Amino acid sequence: MTRSKIAVAAGLVAFGLAACSSPAQNPTTSPTANESTEPLTLTFQSWVPNIDRAVDLFNEAHPNIHVNLETITAGPDGGYAKMFSAVQAGNAADVAQVGYDWLPDFVRNGAAEDITAGFQSSASLFQQWGVDAMTFGGAVYGVPQASSPLGLYYRSDIFEGLGIETPQTWDEFYQAAKAVHASDPNRYIAAFAYNQTPWLLGLSEQAGAVWFEPENDAWKVSVNDPETKKMAEFWQKLIDEDLVKIEADMSNEWYADIQNGNVLSWICGSWGDAIIRGNAPATSGKWAVSYLPQWTAGAKDTGTWAGGSANVVLKGTKHLKEAIEFAIWLNSNPESVSTLVSIGAGWPALADTTQIPSLQDDPTVFAFYGGQNIWDVFAESDKNVASRWKWPPLVSSLYTSVTDNVKASINNKTPLTQAFDAAQAAMVAAMRDAGISVVE
Amino acid sequence: MVSAATSVGRHSPGFPRFALAVALVIAAVYFLLPVVWVLLASTKSPGDLFATNGLWFSDAPQLGYNISRVFTESGGAFGVWVANSVLYSGVGALVATLLATACGYGIAKYDFFGKEQLFWLILAGVLVPATVIALPLYFLLNTVNLVGTYWSVLLPSMVSPFGVYLARIHAATIPDEVIEAARIDGAGEGRIFASIATRMIVPAMVTIFLFQFVTIWNNYLLPLVMLSDGAKFPVTLGLTLWNSQTQRDPYFYTLVVTGSAVSMVVLIGVMMGLQRFWRAGMTAGATKG
Amino acid sequence: MTAAATAITADDVLHGPTDARRRSNKRIGVALLFVLPFTLMFLAFYVAPIIYAIVDSTFAMKSSGLGFGPQQHVFVFLDNYMAALSSPDFQAGLGRLFLFCLIEVPLMVVTAGVLALLLDTGKTLWPRGFRVIYFMPYGVPGVIATLLWGFLYIPSTSPVLQGLSRAGIDLQPLDSGNVLFAIANISLWLYAGYNMIVLTAALNSIPTEIYEAARIDRAGEWAMVWRIKLPLIRPSIVLVTLFTIIGTLQLFVEPLVLSPLTTAINSTFTPNMAAYNAAFAKNNSSVAAAMAVIVAVIAFAMSIGFLKIVNRKGSEAW
Repeated sequence: MTRSKIAVAAGLVAFGLAACSSPAQNPTTSPTANESTEPLTLTFQSWVPNIDRAVDLFNEAHPNIHVNLETITAGPDGGYAKMFSAVQAGNAADVAQVGYDWLPDFVRNGAAEDITAGFQSSASLFQQWGVDAMTFGGAVYGVPQASSPLGLYYRSDIFEGLGIETPQTWDEFYQAAKAVHASDPNRYIAAFAYNQTPWLLGLSEQAGAVWFEPENDAWKVSVNDPETKKMAEFWQKLIDEDLVKIEADMSNEWYADIQNGNVLSWICGSWGDAIIRGNAPATSGKWAVSYLPQWTAGAKDTGTWAGGSANVVLKGTKHLKEAIEFAIWLNSNPESVSTLVSIGAGWPALADTTQIPSLQDDPTVFAFYGGQNIWDVFAESDKNVASRWKWPPLVSSLYTSVTDNVKASINNKTPLTQAFDAAQAAMVAAMRDAGISVVE
Repeated sequence: MVSAATSVGRHSPGFPRFALAVALVIAAVYFLLPVVWVLLASTKSPGDLFATNGLWFSDAPQLGYNISRVFTESGGAFGVWVANSVLYSGVGALVATLLATACGYGIAKYDFFGKEQLFWLILAGVLVPATVIALPLYFLLNTVNLVGTYWSVLLPSMVSPFGVYLARIHAATIPDEVIEAARIDGAGEGRIFASIATRMIVPAMVTIFLFQFVTIWNNYLLPLVMLSDGAKFPVTLGLTLWNSQTQRDPYFYTLVVTGSAVSMVVLIGVMMGLQRFWRAGMTAGATKG
Repeated sequence: MTAAATAITADDVLHGPTDARRRSNKRIGVALLFVLPFTLMFLAFYVAPIIYAIVDSTFAMKSSGLGFGPQQHVFVFLDNYMAALSSPDFQAGLGRLFLFCLIEVPLMVVTAGVLALLLDTGKTLWPRGFRVIYFMPYGVPGVIATLLWGFLYIPSTSPVLQGLSRAGIDLQPLDSGNVLFAIANISLWLYAGYNMIVLTAALNSIPTEIYEAARIDRAGEWAMVWRIKLPLIRPSIVLVTLFTIIGTLQLFVEPLVLSPLTTAINSTFTPNMAAYNAAFAKNNSSVAAAMAVIVAVIAFAMSIGFLKIVNRKGSEAW
C-alpha cells in the first residue's frame, strides 16, 4: 500500500484517537541506549514447538545479544501474512522462520535482507542444495535450518506378520498394498493425503518432475509434466482399487488410524518421527524406516517435504550483523543443531552431520524403531536430493490450486491427472496476473 | 423468567407433558454432547484421545496432569491468556457499553442535523465482515505506533454498533416527562443521563455488556492480526496457536482440548455468575421498544 | 397491537423509532457530547478501515520477469472486482452461500422458536436449567466449537457415528452432499440458544390479560401459539431472522477449520473464506478487500430486501 494512502488513513485514526488519552508507548520495543551494560535485543519469530531450548543455548553463549522468541501462528496459517504486513509497516522482527517454499515470496515482496556478505564465510558449513534454495540472482536471503528429505515409515511388525518384504519399488509397494488390504478390509498401506500438497509435491519430485524452471527471465511452468502424471496415475490405481485410505494426514482421523494400525505407513521427513512416537506410544518397537520405493529398481531418487525450513533476516532490522550471527549460530552450532533435531525441527541442513550428538545415538528414538538407526536413511536421502527443483513466487497459489483440484477430483471421481492439468492452468494464470513472465 | 404464578394464569391445558419433557431432554442432550465430549477428552492422554470411546473415560484418566501441563506449558502462558481475555473482554465491553449507551441516548432524546443518517451509518457497521477491517486496521494503528500493544485490541473492541441500536430503542422508552421534570428541578443534561436515564435502562446496558463481552472473548481475527507477543494473546488466539503446533508435536492436541475445556468452564462460569443480570437484560433487550 | 407495538420492529430498523422530538437548539451542543465519543471511535475503527479497504481494492501489486525484482503498485480500478465476480470458483462460493442461507435460516428460526415455545408452555420441570443448557454454546468460540464438532464428524473419533454405524446407519457428515448440513449444525448449535433467549424474552412480555381472554374463549395450546404468541412476537422473529441472514453471509470460520478434514471444502468454499485465504494465505489484501466488499454489499441488499418483504405484508398478516 502506498504512503499517501497510509497518511490519509492515519489522519482519520489520529482524529479518532484524540478522544482517548494518548496511550503509553512500549519502551521495550526500542533498543536500549546504554549498550555497554545492557545486551542488545533481537526478536525471533518461529512456530517450531520447543525451539526456545535452542534459543536459550544461544543466549547463554552470547552475553551481548539477547534473543527474544515470539511464538507465532504457523506461516501458512497467517504467520507469513503477518510478517509481510510488519515489514511493510516497518516494525518487523529481526529474524523469522520461513520455509524454503515461501522464500521466493519473501524476496519478491522485499521482505528478506540480502545476507550474502555476512553469510559467505559460513556457507561451506551448510549442505549445497539448501544454500542453493536460499540464493536468488546470486544473493543469499536466508540461513538453511532443516530440510525434509523423505523416508518411508512403516509398521514392520505387521509387514513381517503378512510376509511382506520392505517395498523397494513402487510396484512392490502396490503388491504390498494389495496384501495388506486383503488381510483386513479396514487396513490400508497408506493414506492418500489429499490435503497435503507438500506430500504430493515430494512424490512428484521423486518421480523426476521439475515444476518450475527459470528460463531467460521467465518461468517454465510444468505442474502437469509426464513425471507428475506417472505419479498421479500410480496413486489413482491405488485409489480405484481401494488400496489406500482417502484421508487427511495429521488429522484426528489419521492419528486414530496410525494408532489402531489401520494405516501402516507414512512417507514423510525426519520430523515425522516425533509425530508418530508422540501419537502412538503403544506401538513402540513396531516401526521401521526405509528408503523411498523407486520407479526404477536400484535407483536412489528422492524428494522433499516442501524443501525445508530456513531463518530469514527480515527487512528493516537495525541489527543486521547480529541477526545473521544468530541465524548462523542457531543452525550450525553442534549443540544447538542437536537440540533442533531432538525437538523434531527436521534434518539439519549441514554439510557434515557427524558432529551432531543426537544424530549419532538417540536411544529413545532408535528403540521405537526396534533399534534401527533411522537417521541413516534420512542422511542418504538428504544426499540424493536434486538441486534442480526450484520454488516459484506465489507458492500459496500453487498449494491452494493443487489442493483444491485434487480434492475436486476425489470428490467428483475424476482422474487425478486432470487435477494437475487444472492446477497448471491456475498457477500459470496466477503468475501472469501478478506480472510474472511464464512460458509453458 | 416465567414465574409459577403467571404460568398458571397464562397457559391452558392440552399439551402432553411427557412428550414435552422428552423433546426438551433430547434438545439438552444435543446441546450438551460436545461439551461432555470435551470435558471427558480433557482427562485423556494424547494416545487415548483418539483411541478410546469419546463418551467415556479412558482407563487412565489424567485430568490433573493435563491441567498442570496446560498451565505450565510455554512458561505458564495459558494463565496469562485467560487473564488477558478477561481484561480485553471486561474493559472493552465496559467502555463499549458506556459509549454505545451515551450515543443511543443522544440520538433518542435530542434532535440534531443528520441524526437519522448517522444512525443508519452505524447500523450498516453490523454488516461489514471482520475479514475486511482487520488488515486495514493494522496499518492504521501502526501509524500511531499502537500495533502489538493491548490498545490495538482494546480500542477497536470498544465500538459496538449493535449496542447503539439497542440503546436507542431503550432510551426512547424513557418518558420525556421524567426528563423535563428533572430539568425543572435544575438538573444538568449530564446528570440526567448519569443518574436518571442510565438507571432506567440498566437491563439494556447489561445486554450490551454481555453481547460485547462474548464477542470480544470469541474474537480471533483482530488479535491474530494485531499481536505478536504471546504474553498479550487472549485465550482463543493462544489455543489456535497451540493447535497449529499439533502438526509437529501431537501432545499439543491434549493441550488444546484441555485448554478449551478450561476456557469454556471459565466463560460459562462468568455467564452463570451474571445470569441474574443477563436474564433481565435479555428480556428487556429483545422486547422493550 | 399491544406488547409487540413496543418491541423492536422492522419499522424501527427502516425508519427509526418514534422519538420525542426536541425543539430546543440549546441542547444540540449537549447532544453532540453524548454522540461524539462513539461516533469518533466508529469513524476511526469502522469507517476509516473500510475506506482504506475500498481504496486498497482498486490497486494491485505487479511484478515482472521471474518476480524477484521490486514490485509496482498499480491502480487497476475495478479489475479486482471483475476478477472475483468472473471467477467460477467465486461464483460457486456465492451459490453455495445462498444455498446455505436457505438451509440455515429456516433451521435456526424454527429451532429457536420451537424451543422458546416449548419452554413457554409453563408445564416443564426446570425451565431455567434447560434454558441455561441451550444458551451455553453461545459462549464457545466458533473456532473451538468447530474443532469439537470436527472430532464428532469423523467416524474413527466420533462415538455418535460409531453408535449409528453399529445400528446399521453409515453417516458421513463431511461428504460433499452433507457438508453444508454439517456446517449448518455447528452454527445451529452455537446460536440457537441465544436466539431462543431473544424469543423467550418477547414471549415473556406478552401481557397476562391476553392469555386470560383466550382462556375464557377456551382456546387450546395450539390456538394460543398460532393466534396469540406467534403474531405477538413477530417483530422479534424478524430480528432473529435478520441477524441470522447477516451472520450466515459472513460464514468462514467453520468451513476454514473443517477444510483440512474433507475433500468437500476447498479454499473458496464461501466468498468470505476466499477473502480470508487471499489476505492471510496469499498475502493479497487488494483481492481480499474486493471480495469482502462484494459480500458486504450483498448482505446490505439482502437485509433491505428482507425487511421490505416483511413490511409489505403488513404487520398483522402472517
